[in-house]
Amino acid sequence: MILMLIRRLLQMLFVMFGISVLAFAIFFATPGADPSARIAGRNATPETLIQVRHDFGLDRPLPVQYALLMKRLFITGDLTSFVNRGQEVIPEIVASTPVTLSLVLGAALIWIAAGGLIGVLAAATRGSWLDRGLMIAGMIGVSMPVYWLGSVINLFAQSRLHDSALFSWVPPLGYIAFGDDPLGWFKTLVIPWCTLAVLYAGLYGRVLRGALIESLQEDYVRTARAKGLSESRILLRHALRCSLISVVTLFGLDFGALVGGGALLAEVVFSLPGIGKLTFDALQTLDLPVIMATVIYASFFVVASNAVVDIAYGFIDPRVRDA
Amino acid sequence: MAVTDLGADTIAPAMTKTPRDSEGVWSIAWHKLARDRLAVVGALIFAAIVLAAALAPVYATYVAHTDPFHSNINGEIVIDGKPVAVLASSTEGLGLGQTPIGPTWRGAYLLGADDQGRDVAARMFYGGRASLLVSFGATAICIVLGAALGITAGFFGGLIDSITSRVLEILWAFPVYLFAISLSIVTISQGLTIGWVTIEASSLLLPTLIIGIIYTPYIARPVRGQVLALRRTDFVLASIGIGCPTGRILLRDIFPNIAPSLIVMVPLMVALNMLTESALSFLSIGVQAPNASWGTIIQDGQGLLYTRPLVAIAPGIAIVITVLALNVLGDGMRDALDPRSSARAGTAAP
Amino acid sequence: MSQCALDQPSLADRRSAPGAQHIMIRLIPLARAAIVVLALVGGVAALAASPAHRGGKLRLLATSSGGTIDPQVNYTLKFAQVYVSIYDGLVSFKKASGTESVKVVPDLAEAIPTPTDSGKTFVFKLRRGIYFSNGREVTVDDVQASFRRIFKVLSPTAGTFYNQIVGASACIKTPATCTLLGGVVTDAKANTVTFHLLKPDAEFLDKLAFAHAVILPADASPHDVGVLPIAGTGPYMIASYDSLKQLRLVRNPYFKVWSEDAQPDGNADEIDYDFGLAAEDAVTAIANNQADWMFEEIPADRLNELGTRYAKQLVITPLTANYYLPMNVHLAPFDNIKVRQAVAFAIDRKAAVKLIGGANLATPSCQMLPPGIPGYEPYCPFTKNPGATWSEPDLEKARQLVKESGTAGMKVVFVTSDVPIGRALGTYMQGVLNDIGYDATVKVLAQSLQLTYIQNTNNKVQISLFPWYQDYPQPSDFLNVLLSCASFHPQSDASINVSGACDPALDAQMAHALDLSLSDQNAANAAWAAIDRKVTDAAYMASVFIPKHLDFISKRVGNFTFSSQTYFVPALAWVQ
Repeated sequence: MILMLIRRLLQMLFVMFGISVLAFAIFFATPGADPSARIAGRNATPETLIQVRHDFGLDRPLPVQYALLMKRLFITGDLTSFVNRGQEVIPEIVASTPVTLSLVLGAALIWIAAGGLIGVLAAATRGSWLDRGLMIAGMIGVSMPVYWLGSVINLFAQSRLHDSALFSWVPPLGYIAFGDDPLGWFKTLVIPWCTLAVLYAGLYGRVLRGALIESLQEDYVRTARAKGLSESRILLRHALRCSLISVVTLFGLDFGALVGGGALLAEVVFSLPGIGKLTFDALQTLDLPVIMATVIYASFFVVASNAVVDIAYGFIDPRVRDA
Repeated sequence: MAVTDLGADTIAPAMTKTPRDSEGVWSIAWHKLARDRLAVVGALIFAAIVLAAALAPVYATYVAHTDPFHSNINGEIVIDGKPVAVLASSTEGLGLGQTPIGPTWRGAYLLGADDQGRDVAARMFYGGRASLLVSFGATAICIVLGAALGITAGFFGGLIDSITSRVLEILWAFPVYLFAISLSIVTISQGLTIGWVTIEASSLLLPTLIIGIIYTPYIARPVRGQVLALRRTDFVLASIGIGCPTGRILLRDIFPNIAPSLIVMVPLMVALNMLTESALSFLSIGVQAPNASWGTIIQDGQGLLYTRPLVAIAPGIAIVITVLALNVLGDGMRDALDPRSSARAGTAAP
Repeated sequence: MSQCALDQPSLADRRSAPGAQHIMIRLIPLARAAIVVLALVGGVAALAASPAHRGGKLRLLATSSGGTIDPQVNYTLKFAQVYVSIYDGLVSFKKASGTESVKVVPDLAEAIPTPTDSGKTFVFKLRRGIYFSNGREVTVDDVQASFRRIFKVLSPTAGTFYNQIVGASACIKTPATCTLLGGVVTDAKANTVTFHLLKPDAEFLDKLAFAHAVILPADASPHDVGVLPIAGTGPYMIASYDSLKQLRLVRNPYFKVWSEDAQPDGNADEIDYDFGLAAEDAVTAIANNQADWMFEEIPADRLNELGTRYAKQLVITPLTANYYLPMNVHLAPFDNIKVRQAVAFAIDRKAAVKLIGGANLATPSCQMLPPGIPGYEPYCPFTKNPGATWSEPDLEKARQLVKESGTAGMKVVFVTSDVPIGRALGTYMQGVLNDIGYDATVKVLAQSLQLTYIQNTNNKVQISLFPWYQDYPQPSDFLNVLLSCASFHPQSDASINVSGACDPALDAQMAHALDLSLSDQNAANAAWAAIDRKVTDAAYMASVFIPKHLDFISKRVGNFTFSSQTYFVPALAWVQ
């Protein structure tokens, strides 16, 4: 058991290293991204440009630049943006994290609840029109591009129907911190939550339905039926528990990927200053330190959540432990 | 993403048949699929969309009578005998700005014009073309590459497997969207030059390659798992034992047994790739001008959301319908070919 | 000669005759019968702070921050607009609307000195009783330290604006130990600061009025402070700065008005500049009265809505600015004059004007000089029926020229910026270039990258979009600065002569016109007009249109002041 844990953690570190090298290679080998002129400002003399290149270590060989960046990112923690000079990158990322987490966790709560409802209903009435209808509705949700759904909702909530009773409470796009105004925080996030939830609720409903139906064919369920337990009790008390494993696995992967960057589009469309928006803005201006930091941070999250899921699976399912 | 790893024990027993019987397997699956009405509807809808996209030039020339890639800022069309400006300058208030013509529900400018005066409906036909080309191309790349990597790693084992697996792990862990965005940002400005091969920045090949590469682990890892399991089965061990050349083993024993799960993946990956392509195009780093895709049209529509929302809404609906059809088809195919697979429709890439 | 590179307007450099203190500017009223400037309550002449309107919080919006909070390093209009109310120089531009705003007036200095020693020595007497926002009084040591600091922090204009100060070359070579020995001399008893220049400089006062020459406390960090505010002498001070979220200004408790012209008191008690909101959403926020003003250009699809429902909250200001398409004379196909002229003939300027919002927001232009600049004489050769004004494009002529040049079918890349008008014009020009026979594509770059990208010859940019806003209202700013050999630096990100035009004969002509302007203004204007026609014919840059500036403000904002240096002046606006 311990061996598996250690092995998994080592693997996690190795992957993170690989990703950081890959990201560095992608960005620092980019032609046309010479940051020194941007840092020095417009109309700077060539001497100024050379000075700036030296300050930022841009005239050293690539492995040295990589090592310098990593040092400033993890050891000394004073990595600063190329575009907003002086703005430290780590505090920016730390400040953006609560926003992304609020978005993803809130949406997750909604989609798990909705997915759970859909899955149970569909499994209970399997084969009926309700079952088919729910599955199709779920599929439609899954087929929508999130940014499109978000901008259409914005069109109505912010502009067209903003004055109507339905949407007059909608605040302007942006984010209000929970600490500043809990009700405002909630109001800015409700619509983004629902938008993201639409995408995943159907998917989770289907997974749960499939898992439930499978469990309902297991022997222990037949025994329970033979004992005289009601169908709903069987469904909710016994089958559901076993089916949750596949849902949990799925959620771990999705959550990691979302926080790592999938929520980017939602943040851009709803103007939420989270990690995704931070990354996107930095990509527009090729703000290399910020890009490096967010990419590495995001991959850390994905890798960590994958590792957690794997380890949790190891606890739940002993067959996997020796794999 | 819901396309999870296939563990070693998920090979449906029915699939591990020798090549002699494989025809039976395929025709069984085909009949099963044909009876799944929903999947058939999905397939038909998708076929209709592909046909429409292929006929894009016909629509543009004979129905809309416009060149959907040419700006038409000062253009005029005739409606009910009266000339109407395609981009009507405002005459009220301070006389600022201009409004593109709205949907005419006729041949010309069926869904109205965009901010350059181009016919939105005609662009949508061409947009479908680009979206479908990129999605199919990327799917082909990731399935071919993924299968190749997965088979290599799973069959040969040892050092090759270690290295390949490590590489796959890194690629898999790199958040898909960030990976795509990073590669796109870097190549979109200059294009890509590897050795003597140059790909222009505006070529459709770039987003195709990028999306194909980033989704390779999605195929490679399940395939590797399957091949690992297959390698331990009796009939493969027997083939190795009697000294069959590796190529023959791969071709006759391994490949036919992973083919069903690969085929199941095709519609699902096309759907996933289409959503990814549209997201990248929306961020302006996917399909580049002068090509148009549904994602780029939605992006164009962002600047018209308050006056002509249809420009943004229509392509989104097109995407939803296409992806839905593909998902439904993919589900049906999975049920017919590989029911134990955990590949699920609606790998919800946001 | 100043070489101000901008994608947004930088602060002005004003030419004046040596010894003269009046301005030699003739602002010809705009001949176009376009929209009249919509003056709000307060009118064209700026009203200074009125006690009746004091107080409240002004809320400004921008999609992103303006970069560093260091006033000697920041070179963006976005922050220059607020720095003028946080910091002061020895002299500054008058805080007023329109033509008054190009006047240099004494700020921390008591008076504008007459230069001695044939124009090489300036003696400024510092005012007493002015305090920084940290409570310390301004002394001559602060002045000296501030000028040294310009070099220490590698200010972008150190080598171009302030290199004529004695001791500057040593400072450029080794900034860390900059002393400006002999260049900036202080006399604590007499409370004076004396500047010694290497050569007479008729524009020195303008350079001192420029943003980077503000006076900071002597103990300010000798490095770009990035995000840590420096104390200033203006009516506002920086309370907090988060480059992702907000810049917050509050009143400077130590501020007292010493010159209404140079630094009036602010009206609002607090100014909140919020970052991160997209332009479309900012417009919605202002329309809903949730914010007061936005920095970015108004998205084109909202113009009609604003022009009809919110007409009273719009301010349209004519600018002496021009949207050009520089064509690289060192790269095929634009090394051939026929090709460049073909492009100029093919542009449908009416369509381009439509893209930016219609005839009330821009006027077509064919030539290098815009109206309002001395030496402007209407001239348009690139239209059907060439004459004084543009009427319509001549596609046949354009195609003919391309055929004659033998370059048809070549690949052309049009480099533009990612702001809405940049994208729209890029898409449109791609069609135009295809129409005349080329295989054209568009490359869209982030606005902050595009300007330096097109200047660097290493990037091999053939044709690009280049909006140019005046540094100072003189023809040399449009002709000399943009087309002389001295402005062309191959392989540098700082080569504002984007088309790479370098004609010694032209340079000589321009030098002659500059000399003439010192003695005979009329002759100079005629000379500049002739140069304008000559460079227009050579089509180094195709001129598209002359834009006007549009501001959208909320209902409660009054006394909207538009300075030709920094445009909107937030400090003077009132909110109650």
